[in-house]
This record gives sequence, structure tokens and C-alpha cells, in this order.
Amino acid sequence: MPIPPKKQCSYTPQEAMLAADSVSKRGPWVLKAQIQSGARQSGYFLEKKAERISGVQIVRKRSEIATVAEQMLGNTLVTIQTGPQGKKVNKIYVEAFQKVKKNFYLGLTVNRITAELVLLIADVPDGNIIKVALNHPEDILHLPLCAGDSVSSAQIQNIMNFLKLPHRSAHHLEKLVNGLHRAFLDLDATMIEINPVGVSLSGELCALDAKISLDDNALFRHQDIAVLRDDSDLGERELQAKRYKFTYQEFDGAVGCIVNGDGLALSAMDLLKEHGSGAACFINVKGGVDKDKIANGIKLIMTNPRVEGIMLNILGGFVRCNLIADGIVAAASEAGLNVPMVIRFEGTNKDMAREILNNSHLPIVWSNTQDEAVEKLLKLIKEAA
Amino acid sequence: MSVFVNKDTKVVCQGITGNQASFHVKNSLDYGTKIVAGVVPEKGGSLHLGLPVFNTLREAVEQTGAEATVMYVPAAQLKYAIREAVEAELGLAVSIAADVPLSDMLEIKAMLRGSKTKLIGPNTPGIITPEEARLGIFPIDIHKKGHIGVVSRSSTLTYEAVLAISRAGLGQSTVIGLGDDMLIGMDFIEVIDAFNHDRSTKAVVMIGQLSGPFEEVAADWYKQQINKKPVIAFIAGNAVPFGHNMGYAGDVLTNGYVSVQDKKDALAAAGMIVVDNLNEITRVLSELK
Repeated sequence: MPIPPKKQCSYTPQEAMLAADSVSKRGPWVLKAQIQSGARQSGYFLEKKAERISGVQIVRKRSEIATVAEQMLGNTLVTIQTGPQGKKVNKIYVEAFQKVKKNFYLGLTVNRITAELVLLIADVPDGNIIKVALNHPEDILHLPLCAGDSVSSAQIQNIMNFLKLPHRSAHHLEKLVNGLHRAFLDLDATMIEINPVGVSLSGELCALDAKISLDDNALFRHQDIAVLRDDSDLGERELQAKRYKFTYQEFDGAVGCIVNGDGLALSAMDLLKEHGSGAACFINVKGGVDKDKIANGIKLIMTNPRVEGIMLNILGGFVRCNLIADGIVAAASEAGLNVPMVIRFEGTNKDMAREILNNSHLPIVWSNTQDEAVEKLLKLIKEAA
Repeated sequence: MSVFVNKDTKVVCQGITGNQASFHVKNSLDYGTKIVAGVVPEKGGSLHLGLPVFNTLREAVEQTGAEATVMYVPAAQLKYAIREAVEAELGLAVSIAADVPLSDMLEIKAMLRGSKTKLIGPNTPGIITPEEARLGIFPIDIHKKGHIGVVSRSSTLTYEAVLAISRAGLGQSTVIGLGDDMLIGMDFIEVIDAFNHDRSTKAVVMIGQLSGPFEEVAADWYKQQINKKPVIAFIAGNAVPFGHNMGYAGDVLTNGYVSVQDKKDALAAAGMIVVDNLNEITRVLSELK
């Protein structure tokens, strides 16, 4: 797949200057914040000193390279995909600006209804595919691809007509689409978006930027990619949670929640909101749980200064409640329990779990439903304040 | 009456000798499920939990007349297990496996196309017809025989809905977890259609998810049906900030950009009864009677 020939990664403004010189003698250059998110061009920085730039910046004067690099590096870029807390920029990409006649969007993903690969193509003069998706979804061409075969010439012609590309671009397009298709399968991707593809004056195509999402479930087949995993934009508690192998997410409320499913997490957030409160963090222990894992989870939650109370809601099918109870007792005896805790157990071995905790004499409040758990915990938090 | 499985459905278990499989198969047998055999390559001829074990699914089906399989095989083995089920022309396969690679699911979906096999899952608690048959990992003590069909993409919220229905003195005809992976076997349409044709099912509870177009597609279909049961629908995620990804495999262009409210509006416009809280389900159900 054709990509810009000259580019370099930089970690400091000085490096960015050197990189700019080495990729091109003359401007303009393009500086791109490297975070794990798309939509960087329409993103913004949280810090005031960088409020006038986005995550992808075209710089015309050499003297401005260091300034723009300094505004990006170390600061927090917020995009529609990062959530309001944004992601810290630790490195930037410096490229020579490619003069193009036209830009378009080319994506490849899976249609979840038909279970086929689908190419998505759209004309996006300003690079903002989201705007097109929201306001004019009919302007996006959807082309199903057969997983095994290469793209047909009829499909290439279809895309050529749709984008009104010059005739001389046809074989470039075929090469690009087939390359994208092969990359998707070879990498076990879930989505690849090339945004934009640039069309040069001579009709050649070039992938000017891209976002690739890989399938975590297939990473075991790609040890070479797995070692590239970059956790530098995770917080300390998130990193620790990863080590314990559970999902951990932080929000700006006061309740620490432990649940065993995404659905429960979502409905707990809805309930907390309904009662005028919110979650400080979530631990989703999903299926595989043992005593140590749960103990570590509770200890982790208690290091979050926002947490004023803990709600544990487990509906055990795969999860066995008694193991969770053992973990709670272990955490409390190792680290103490300094905030109110409301527990709701249902399902596999719940009676055993209740007995374990009742025998521990920990100050635990029981609840029969999630609604009740939320109400009881918020009342306890209020009383403790 | 029920859908897909009942007390007479002969079930075979692929991967029966595993730890989790043994635990859950034993529970299912105690529950009354007619599990007739297990399949584990190279363990054919032995007995496990009192059941004969076969090397291949085909053998097990030929010897026992099994009609359905519940698979406790790891994600990486799933496509081979499903190939066996398709080749043995089994009507129903249930997979609880988590973390199945997307490319494997693409292969699996291609295998299932035009085959006799319907897949429930993966990454689901399975299917249960209360007091008759349990294929999967459902908690046992929350279900009650009754007339409400439950179909859900969220495991834990399925349990919540079932609990609420049981505690309200109602019960379930059959409960089915579809799973919330990027690609799933059966979808809402196939299950609601089955409930529409099941005489014992009086109403359907449908629990959707934030990501993926499955709910909207089901709504479009439901709107066009003439003879249909009432559907009470719930989707969690009101409090999720716009554009925030909770960890669901999202859709490309709609990832995070479709709000829960958009989904709820689509379901309501199709004539489904949309509730904002799981507890409202039982209130609506009792008013339906």
C-alpha cells in the first residue's frame, strides 16, 4: 500500500525540527499527534497554551515546527473517540506535506448483520467522515467483499465512478484496495480506515493517514504485533488492573462498582445517574474469578480517592459467588475496609457466599436487587459524610 | 411449550471432560436436561458423569440420536467444533466460548449459511427452558416455568430480567442469550420469530446493547410482522457519555455515535414497548395480562 515516502517519529520539539529537515527541505510539513484514537484532526487540546491547534497540524514555516511540536507534546488531546478526559501525546509524526488534487475516505470492516467484509468509501473534502456519516449516510458507498477473493474489476469501476476518479487511477485503486483487503486478513484487523487517501495530480493514490484496530482475540496469532502494545496512555490504576486481568474504567462519580458483566456496569451507571450520583470506577470481573483477583480488585478500588462507597453486584452464572466472598474477606483483612460496602449476590453458590461474609463480621450491607443496592449505598455515603 | 429446546431434546456435549464443562453439565443433568453423550477427541469409549464419550460428534449423533450440542470448547477450537455440528446436520449448537477471533467467526458464519445448524452464541450463557433443559451456564435457581420469552445480548442483564420476572410471580417459556460479540450466531429476529410461533409464549422481553445494529434491524422486521407477540425492550447505557466506548466491539461509522436514545426511539417506533428500567418490565408484563 503506498504511503508518504518521508516521515519520522519525534518525542521532543528538537527532534521534530531535525525530523522536518530530514523529510523535506521546504515546507509545508504535517505534524500528527500519535495517540490511540482517530478523529485527531477535529480534536482539541485541553491545555490553554495549545488551544489553537488540533491533533493534525499543517505547518508552513520552518520556524513554527518547534512551537507546534511543543504545543502537542506532553499535552492532552481530546477527540470524539477519546472521551472528555482525552489522551496524552507523547510522540508526534513529522511528514512532508503531500500535494493532492483530491482526498477520499476508504474503510474496511465487518458488516455485523451479513457477516461479510464491507468496504466503505466516501468523498470527504475536509477529512471529516463523521460529519458525512451523521448527516449524509447515503453519501457513503458500501461494497461487500468476499473474504477469500480479491476485489473484482466491476467493483473497482464502481468505486471509480462513485469518486469520479480519473481513468489513470484505476490500477492504483485496485492495488490499494487489494492491499487493504490483504492487510485486514493478515493482521486480523477489526477495522482499517485510511483517511484520507490522497489523489495526486498524476492520478496516483497514497494513504496519507490511517487507523487500524486489531482483534484482541486474535493477538495470540501475532506475537510480533503483541510486543508493540503501548500502554503509556493508561493511568496507574488501569495498568495495575490490566496486570490482574480485569477491565477497569474511571469516571467522575463517587461509587466504586464491582460487577461481572458490561450490561450490569451500564445499568448500574444508569441507576446511579437516576439517583443523582455516578460511578467513580468500574471493575468488570467477567467470567474467570478467583479469591486473589477479587481481593486485588477491591484493594485497587480503595486506592481511588474518589471512591466513597463500594457496590458489588454479582449475578453468578459462570462466576461463583463464594470465591468472590473469599476475596472480599482477604482484601478486608489485608487492607481494611474504610468505606461502606453494599453487596448483592445472585446465582451460583450465593448462599455459601453470604455465609462466608456473615461469619467474617465485616460491616457489609446486603441487598436483593441492584436498585436497592444503589439506594442503600448512597444513603450510607450520605451518612458517612 | 417452548422454543428450540425442551425436556425431550437430546443433547450432546462437546468438550465434556473439561473442568467448567463437568461442573455445568452435572448441574444441567440434575436440572433434567436430556444430555445423552459427550464428545472429546481421543477419549472415545470412556464414560464421564455416567455418559458415553465419543471421539467425533458424528458418532455421538449416530449412536444417540442427539439433536443439539452444547460446546464447552475453547475459543480457538470453536470453528472445528462447529464444522462437526454442521457436518452432522445438528439443528442447534450452543457456544459459551469467550474471546473468539473475528476471522474465525467470519468462517463460522460462512459455514452456517445454508446449513441445518443454528448457532446460539458464542460468549453467551446459552439457552434454558425452565424446568426442562439447560444448555450453557445459566444460574439454576433464578428461573421459573412460565409464558415470557426472554432474548438478550447481555448475559448479566438476562439474569436480572429473569429474576425480576420470576419474583413477580411470572415465569419464562425459554431464555436465550445471543452474546454480544461483534458477530453472533442467531439474532433477535430468529428468536422473536420463534417466540411468535410458540403457543406458550405470551410476550417477549428483549434486552439490547449499545453497540451494533442488531436492535434496529430487529425493529424494522418486527414492524412488518402481522401476527406478533408484544415485545418489551430494554437497553442499558443512558448514563454513558456520548462517544464513550465502554469496551463493546463497536461499529465503524456508528461507534459511539448512536446514542441509546436513538436505539430506543427506533424500537418504540416499531411498536415495541420500551422501558427505561429493568424493574419496569414486570410492571408492563402484569398490565399486559
